[in-house]
Amino acid sequence: MFKELDPLLLSQLRLAIMSYLMVAREADFNLLKEQTEATAGNLSAQISKLQEAGYIEVEKTYRNNYPLTICRITEKGVEAFDAFYKDLKSYFE
Amino acid sequence: MQQEEKTLNPQESLRLIRETIDLAKRGVGENGFQFLWWGWLVVVACLAEYYMLVNGYGERAHLAWMVMPLIGAPGSLIYEWRRDQKQQEKNIVRELYGYLWLGFGISLVLTLVISVLRQIPPVPMVLVLAGFATFMSGILIRFRPLVFGGLTLWAGAALCLFVAVREHSLVEAGAVVLGYLLPGYWLNHKARKHHV
Repeated sequence: MFKELDPLLLSQLRLAIMSYLMVAREADFNLLKEQTEATAGNLSAQISKLQEAGYIEVEKTYRNNYPLTICRITEKGVEAFDAFYKDLKSYFE
Repeated sequence: MQQEEKTLNPQESLRLIRETIDLAKRGVGENGFQFLWWGWLVVVACLAEYYMLVNGYGERAHLAWMVMPLIGAPGSLIYEWRRDQKQQEKNIVRELYGYLWLGFGISLVLTLVISVLRQIPPVPMVLVLAGFATFMSGILIRFRPLVFGGLTLWAGAALCLFVAVREHSLVEAGAVVLGYLLPGYWLNHKARKHHV
């Protein structure tokens, strides 16, 4: 019997954000936009959903007087990603 | 406004995870500078030591190794500090990479001190350590020439068993050119192409 996959991570963009943050730990909004090739609106919406679930935390700050949004993966996010990856692999075993 | 949410099947999910993680790993920003910087310093130190040994300055030959880190370490640290200023995102691979070479540096200093105090030829042990750090760097950043570079340095360490101690510095110079400088230039060329 296959385990049900976390629906939050079955979205292409949310999974791309989480996979990137698993390695990078944190990334600013523009870098994520560049790496995922998403539109700013869509990226922002998916970041909000991940934040609501507690998978990432978002810090709004400034760098050289420009606003900067930094996304950081949380402990809960790392656990969710690990569980998702484990469940996903069971589909191919 | 409803945002687009493309749902993936398990196969697509797994592929996306692998591709994204590969992309993030490239963010380590390794451009070969440290390999070229230390590679050339080690080659110069090896040749200087050999020159002193064969020309009757044997008792001062170790000076080459004492001067080398005094030039190398500040240059290396300044370069990394300037790079950190430009690139502020954290990256777990970059962190591990940094700790790997920090561990190598500490091991190297201890090895050199022990070998000088106990009068043990340092080159084979230095090559074993450098081989390990280079091999692991290649694995971490998925750059095969560095993996082979590590193997070359280990081979150099083994070769020291069969040559006179006086020739060890020549073996080291050769192993560093093949195992350190060659992959370093390769990495540098690759980084320039990808603007790292």
